[in-house]
Order: sequence, then C-alpha cells, then structure tokens
Amino acid sequence: MKENQKNDTIIAQSISVRDASLWYGDFQALKNISIEIPEKKITAFIGPSGCGKSTLLKCFNRMNDLVEGCKVTGNFLIGDIDIYGKVDVNELRKNVGMVFQKPNPFPMSVYDNIAYGPRTFGIHKRKELDIIVEKSLRQAAMWEELKDRLNKSALGLSGGQQQRLCIARALAVKPKILLMDEPTSALDPISTGKIEELCEELKESTTIVIVTHNMQQATRISDYTGFFLMGELLEYAETDEIFTSPKDEKTEKYITGRFG
Amino acid sequence: MVTKEKLGKALFVLGAIICIISAISIFVFLIIKSAPAFIKIGVLDLVFGDNWSPSVSDNYNNALKGSYGIFTMIIGTIVSTLGALTIGGVLGYFTSIFLVFYCPKKLKPIAIMIINLLAGIPSVVYGFFGISFLLPFLSKIAPNNGSGLLATSIILGIMILPTIISLSRVALESVPRQYYEGSVAIGANHTSTVFKIMVPSARGGILASLVLGTGRALGEAMAVVMVAGNFPTYPNGLFGSFRTLTANIVLEMGYAGEVQEGALIATGVILLMLVTTINIIFNKISIGTVKAIATTQNSNKIKTKTESILRKINFSKIGEIASKIAGITVAIILFMIVSFIFVKGLPTIINHPWFIFGKFQFGSEEITILPSLICTVLVAVISLIIATPIGIMTAIYLNEYAKKEGRLATIVRGAINILAGVPSIVYGLFGMITFVKIFGGTSSILSGALTISIILLPTIVRSTEESLKRVLDSLRQGSLALGAGKLRTILKVIIPSALPGILSAVILSIGRVVSESAPLLYTMGSVIKQIPSSVFDSGATLSVALYQLSGEGWYINEAYATAVVLIILVFALNLIAELTVKGLSKRLKGDTNEGKSKK
Repeated sequence: MKENQKNDTIIAQSISVRDASLWYGDFQALKNISIEIPEKKITAFIGPSGCGKSTLLKCFNRMNDLVEGCKVTGNFLIGDIDIYGKVDVNELRKNVGMVFQKPNPFPMSVYDNIAYGPRTFGIHKRKELDIIVEKSLRQAAMWEELKDRLNKSALGLSGGQQQRLCIARALAVKPKILLMDEPTSALDPISTGKIEELCEELKESTTIVIVTHNMQQATRISDYTGFFLMGELLEYAETDEIFTSPKDEKTEKYITGRFG
Repeated sequence: MVTKEKLGKALFVLGAIICIISAISIFVFLIIKSAPAFIKIGVLDLVFGDNWSPSVSDNYNNALKGSYGIFTMIIGTIVSTLGALTIGGVLGYFTSIFLVFYCPKKLKPIAIMIINLLAGIPSVVYGFFGISFLLPFLSKIAPNNGSGLLATSIILGIMILPTIISLSRVALESVPRQYYEGSVAIGANHTSTVFKIMVPSARGGILASLVLGTGRALGEAMAVVMVAGNFPTYPNGLFGSFRTLTANIVLEMGYAGEVQEGALIATGVILLMLVTTINIIFNKISIGTVKAIATTQNSNKIKTKTESILRKINFSKIGEIASKIAGITVAIILFMIVSFIFVKGLPTIINHPWFIFGKFQFGSEEITILPSLICTVLVAVISLIIATPIGIMTAIYLNEYAKKEGRLATIVRGAINILAGVPSIVYGLFGMITFVKIFGGTSSILSGALTISIILLPTIVRSTEESLKRVLDSLRQGSLALGAGKLRTILKVIIPSALPGILSAVILSIGRVVSESAPLLYTMGSVIKQIPSSVFDSGATLSVALYQLSGEGWYINEAYATAVVLIILVFALNLIAELTVKGLSKRLKGDTNEGKSKK
C-alpha cells in the first residue's frame, strides 16, 4: 500500500454521480444517472427487477469491473475523488463495503471470516484481531450469540446469522460506506428485522446504500429513496416525500403495487 | 501489491505455457526423430509394408539390410481394438444400463466404487492375469499356449470396461427425469421405458464412452505384449499370434539399431495419429451430445415415441435380461481377477516376510521388492513435486484469469486434451529421446519421474479446474468486495475451498505413478537391483518389476505377490482419496448441517 502514494485516498462519506451511463456489451443498463447520496444516511434504491438499481450500486465499489464487456461513462465521486480515476480498486473496496443478496460466508471459522479483511490489509497480531473481531460482532449484534463458537465453521450458522456475519465481516475493515444489495431477500422476517435494526445503528457512523424490493423496508429504514425504471432514475427524494406525494405517476403506480 | 498481482498472474500463465510446450514438444521431437527413418525407408514402404525384419546394424548412411514395414501391426492394432470393443463394449453397455436402471439401490454405490477401483488397477496386472489365468485356460481349446487375438481382445475388453461403464452411466443418469415420467405416465412399463426412451436419449454419451474406450485399447502396451504372442504377422484366426504398434515399441526399443530406432519412433507417430483421430472424434461427439440434449429438451419426440413403445415390448425384455446377465458377468470377472491374484500371491507375502522388506542379494532365491518400492516412492514424490504446482497453476490460469473464449485459453485446453490422449508408451518414447539423452544417455529415476510428470499434468489440471469451478462465485465477490486483491482471493479463499478436490487429484496421481509401466521401461530402466543411491540411478518401479518378473517366468510366486502389493496400494490410494474429500469437505462445511437444513 505504501508505494501507492500517487493514488487518491478516500476520506469522504458522500457519493455523487454525474451523468453516468453503463453498458453490458450493447445493452445500456444505466442511462444518464445523476444522484447525490448524503453521508451517514440510509438511501434506498427501489424499482422493478432489471431497472438498474443493483447495477448502479455495484458501480460504487467497482464490482462491475468483474463483468466482461462492461463499460462505464460519467463521473462517480466519493467526496471529490473520482473512483474510476486514480484510485486503487482494493483500497476503494475496503472503504466501500458490500453485503450481497445471498449470504456468502467463506468456508472458514467465524473468527477467520471476520479477520479475513483486516488480515488482507496487514493486521496479523492476534490481540489486535481479537479486538476487531469482538467489536465487529458487537456492532452486528451477534457477539453474545457467537462468542462461544468463534472457531466453528461459519457455514454451520443459520441463513440469518450468516448474513449478519457477512455484515460484521464487512464492518471489520471499517468501511466509510456500506452497500447492501437486497440483503434480506433470502431471509425470514425475524432475521430481516434484526438486520434493519442493525442498519439504524450503523448509520451513526456509516453511509448506507441499500437496494430493496420491499417497499415497507424502504419506508421503515431509509432517509432517502431513489426510484429506478428501465435504467433511469425517475425520482429521488426524501423517503417520506416519495411515499406520500410522489411526483411521477409511474413512481406512484409502483409504490402502490400497481406494476412492477 | 500491484507488482505482486502481476507476478502471480505471470506464474499462472507460466504453468499454462509449460503445458503447451509439453504438448508441442512431444509431436515435434517424435517427428524430428522419425523423419530420417521415414525418408530412408520410404513412407509407403514403412506404413504399408508387411515385412518387419529389422537389422540392428542398419544405419542411415548405408543401404538397408532389414525391412521395416509396420502394416501388419497397424492391422493387428485395429483388429484387436475391434475385438476389445466387441467384448468390452457390449458388456460395458449393458452393465451401465444394469447399474442405472436394474441394480438394487443398496448395491449401486458399492458397484460404482468397485468399478472406479478397477480403473486404477495397473495394466501389467491385467496382463499378468492374462498370462497366469486366461492363457492356461484358453490353451485347452487352442492349438498353442492360448495367446493371440482372442486373449488380447478379452484382456483389452476387460481393461476398457471401467471407462465405458462410468461414462455411459453418467450419460444415462443425465437423461432428464421427465422423460422417464412422461413415458411411464402413458402406461409403458419400466423396461420398455428404459430401452425405448432412456437409452436412446443417452445415445451420444454412450457412443462417446465407446470411442474413449477405443482410444484406451489402441494405446495399451504392456498388457498386450504379455498375451498377444507378438509375432509380426497379420492376425490369423482367434489364436493367431500378432503384434500391435505399441507392442512393437515395447519389444524392440531396448536394443534397437539406428534405423530400427527411427522406425520404432515412426511406429509411435502412426500410433499417435490413430489415437489423435479417435480423440478428435470423441470431442466432436461429446460436444454434439450436449447440443443434442439441449435441443431435444422441449421436443415432442418423446410423446410419439412412447406411443410406439407398447408394440415392441419383447425386444426390450431381451435387453433387460442382457443387462442383468452383463451386470453379473462383470461382477464375476472382477471378483475372479482380484481373488485369483490374492489367493496365489498372499501366501508368498505371508510366508516370506523378506519379500517386502528384505535385503537384495543378487542371484539368490529370496528376491525382495524393497528396491522397487523405494523407486516407486521416489518417482511418485519427484513427479508430483514437478507436476502438482504446474498443474494447479495452469488450472488457476484457466479458471480465474483466462477469458472464456480467449485464444490462449483455447490453446491451453487443446494442449491438455492432446496430453490426455497420448498413449503412455509414446510418453516413454518421448522421455527416452529427451530426458534420457539430456541426463547422459542412461535411464534414471529422474528421467522416469520427468516423463511421468507430463503424464500427470492433464489429470491434475482437469480435476483442479473442476474443483475451482465448483467454488461459488459469491465467495470470489465476497473477498473482492472486502478489498482483497485477486491473488489474495485466489490463495486464501478459492484454493482452500477447492482443496479437497485438488488433494484427491494428487492422491489419485500417485495411483497413476504406481500403475504406469510402459513410459518407465526405457526411461528409468527395468532391472530390479539394489536400493538406488541417487536419482541418477536406474531402477524398476513395482509395475515394471511385475512385468519383468512375469516375463522371465522364474519368479512366478513373487510376481503374484507383487501384483497383490500393487492392487492393495492402488485400492488404498483410492480409499484415501475418497476419505480425504469427504473429511475435508465436512470440515469446510462445519460440524453441523444447520445452515443447509434451514434452506
């Protein structure tokens, strides 16, 4: 890391997207999107499947780089740093954590799962790691559940526990922004509730962007909501506003369940 | 960090390039070394001449005294392969049907395990079974000692059984379940559904298994040498002595003159061409099958077919009976081979403890296989040290770095396919004209190990790639999303997840080292002598020792005992491989199945 002084480092917690488009081969998945995501708030992206909300989310930590034939134009800024510019992509992903739709714990122990990130960035002392693991698990509100089974395989946990573990794992590298791609769609209502509570606590220190199919979830936890349709951002406003008095007719139809 | 990533990628590409170089150099070296012989003898005379009587003193500067036509052997190879296909193909075809549709559920996993084990039995052991059981048995009805076309076809037929059964079984099992249900729902019974719907739907896969079996029979050397009679004439009747291309190389390479050596390498080239043709056919069929399954998925063919079933039930009934008979026959054959060798060999081991761990004394009655055991271990260790990293690196390149249809990846895959198809005796030739020459012209453990390491490459690459493929993409993304680089993701997350598969490939490779003999005969030597003092010594592995012992006819009891040791070793390795996979997968998945059952 040390020799990468040329690269910009990310300090800010707000995202601003200016005139961004994205293509998968010939298919344009995002069309001229501009959006300002404020720091330490929860911003929800909603919209029918294939509308581009997950695609936009994956631009924020450049996971789209992994897709062959994916091309991005426009500006993606975190603070005033262009994340498609002179940024070390691993450093970016350290600062912009991600939780996936399906829990994906590594086939290792609970402890090693959480320590994986810190170890990646050069922390190897057992004592330091112990502290990080405990802190991350406490943040994810699962320390009490898991403290006696830190050395057991993470794959033995229930689906809900696995997902919260993945959140704890993301927190262990102290991300400034946390992206969540439908984090509860594979979970039961109780686990979902726990994760939503967790989000509320995390926003004290972290910016959260969450993609969800669940309208109630968006109203329950988010401060701002963006509605996407066919690769366009149709409407973006404070959550209360968008759900009580949507400006666009299509937004209204969608949130009242009339299409999508 | 960035440089590390680049270094990692460079290393993985290097592995892939070594694979390509290996494949190319086999062809290049064989062609360069055989070209003078092709020119001197004349391509037509060599390929279509039917008189093989080489003269050791012939060289490229003088007129030829001997003649070098290999046509009798080309015919011998083709005829014996057809014979093997008739016996092994028919038995294997019906046995696979038996296994999938008629075998009692409890028996099936055991049967599959036994067939896998059978695939691991060294070819010399099959050959030895031929010499010690089949030939005496056949000699009662034969004008000679029983050797010849029939014996060769039977032994080769048995040897290709595992290949045919396993691949056909997979083909039959991957026929969509709906086909079966659709047919039964119309009122067709089990047997007619099996023979009118399921088997025809798996036609492509079954055909591919037969082609692959053909490739194996064409390339087999040692077992054939032991039962074919080996006289270089056209096979004349069931008990006519004949020689195959592979046998020609095994028999004469050891003492060949200049032109003779060239002609033998030319024999290898012709053999390689035959086998490559078969492999190309195999690849075409396999690809065709996948497409065929994809397109017939939604067709209405099934319906119309099912309606015509009820009319032709009798034929299916015959098929059912044939399947059951085949299943039982194969079981009896396998039981016979193993029990015959154990009954004959175990007493020697029990009564003569020095046989395994004794000191070697030249000319003494009490021979020991300790030197061979040590040679085997040495070859296994050295060849795995070379082949494992290269194989794993190549697989990582293919699965993690290469673009799906990228040019380099296509070439690497082509090279791997070629390497997998090269008959082992051709590897022996290659090792002899490269490694042995490099290390001073005499055979050595090191040359043998280098030769074997190339043989192991395709297996290690393929099984590693398979296990890498099974690692979920979400794990890759999970690691990358935490800011871990690609290299770290590969080393810390992907390889550990794929470890059971990789380890089992390595263990099965040891089995391969133990059972190979043709490639070692002229690269490592065949003399059972003292314990080797360095890797530059020559020596015989257990399989080569068995070949020597059984050929000389002096130490027949010791040969049985060696065969027993070989079988036990191979079985043990298979078992360890299976347990490793199970044990490690369990550890990876955690102690409880909670996560799984909740889903």
